[in-house]
Amino acid sequence: MSEIIGYMPLLMDGLLITLVIFALTLIFSLPLGLPIALGEEVKFKPLAYLCRAYVWIFRGTPLMLQLFFFYFFFPIVLNIRLDALPTAILTFILNYAAYFAEIYRGGFKSIDRGQHEAAFALGLSKRQTMFGILLPQTMKAILPPVFNEVITLVKDTALVMSIGGVADIMKNANSIVNRTSSITPLVVAGAIYLILTFLLTIGANKIERYFGRYDQRGDQ
Amino acid sequence: MENILEMKNIVKEFDNCTALHEVDFSLKKGEIVAIIGPSGSGKSSLLRCINGLNTITSGSIELRGTTGMVFQHFNLFPHMTCIKNVAYAPIKVKKMDKEEAYKKGMELLDMVGLASKADDYPNHLSGGQKQRVAIARALAMEPDIMLFDEATSALDPEITGEVLEVMKRLAEEHMTMVVVTHEMGFAREVADRVVFMDHGKVVEEGTPEEIFENPKNERLKSFLSTVIRA
Repeated sequence: MSEIIGYMPLLMDGLLITLVIFALTLIFSLPLGLPIALGEEVKFKPLAYLCRAYVWIFRGTPLMLQLFFFYFFFPIVLNIRLDALPTAILTFILNYAAYFAEIYRGGFKSIDRGQHEAAFALGLSKRQTMFGILLPQTMKAILPPVFNEVITLVKDTALVMSIGGVADIMKNANSIVNRTSSITPLVVAGAIYLILTFLLTIGANKIERYFGRYDQRGDQ
Repeated sequence: MENILEMKNIVKEFDNCTALHEVDFSLKKGEIVAIIGPSGSGKSSLLRCINGLNTITSGSIELRGTTGMVFQHFNLFPHMTCIKNVAYAPIKVKKMDKEEAYKKGMELLDMVGLASKADDYPNHLSGGQKQRVAIARALAMEPDIMLFDEATSALDPEITGEVLEVMKRLAEEHMTMVVVTHEMGFAREVADRVVFMDHGKVVEEGTPEEIFENPKNERLKSFLSTVIRA
């Protein structure tokens, strides 16, 4: 027990880094997915193809490969020195935006064409239709897969260990293991990930229920 | 009376079929026209060309007024309460004051007999109730012409009556209406003019008496014999 208390501060430092990666990735990738999703459906073909290629590449290659790629891409190709942490966060944002774009696109497709027609017949503008009619309904369809990705992201953050230089929970737990030859740090780190995903699951259920409220049959 | 709508030589082609072959259609202010005909005859296509839901392939449309539409499948916004469904477009499109839009919306819901359902979501309503809310929603924009696209076709026979009642009330108030319908009783009783379409063309048109009592065209006769079993 005292052993665990001894290395807990290091794991907590790691937790902070993990949470920073997690939060920044979501803050930027969740909105970034929307223009990509819309771009995939525009009539201007070159833009549509570009967006589809983006999604295809980022979903079709390993995240770890992308981490390595950008880790070397900035210094070697662009001659920009970028630390491991921002490189990792940028990679996660680009990768997750592709997944979110695909989820949003599916969400839009799930909406009945009659909703577009009703909005058109009432004279609503495209913008009003998008933000007042389509997006709110899309929420119900996209939230479960979005939260699925959010929970995956908690675990994916551990991949930053592969490029080194980022002291997240995983990296710190691993270094303690190497130093002490005890595997309990991995168990504790695992427990921390479990607590995170557990809390997210509870939050997800609450939010999903809110956006699905209009479908629950009430007392009549 | 002046024509509020004038459509000439309307052709509508879809990817692999022609829905309308050079159709002429006009409408006077206050007139109630029922469009009848077999499925796939182009009735709905013609109606949807009026408000631009279908873009015409060729021809000309002159529309001197605004339209509201009621759909077969209601197309209410499921994430909004009934009152919000009704008040939303006036607030957003007409920039109407929110309080005023809700007040007007309540009057319309009251008119269709659903004031008590104002704060319910559409999924809590029956089909007939949904369609009455949809009529209120279209009326909230104060259109010059109301378009009904098979408004009762998705409803069980025993509840079409409540929707037809509302439509009759609008007719009595001299609302200009174009009604695509399979309800021959309604067409006969309420319409000023009945248009029979088949294979993308207007085959015959006239007063309800002319169409129902004294049909001339053979296809109209056979159509009427299949739909009127009485």
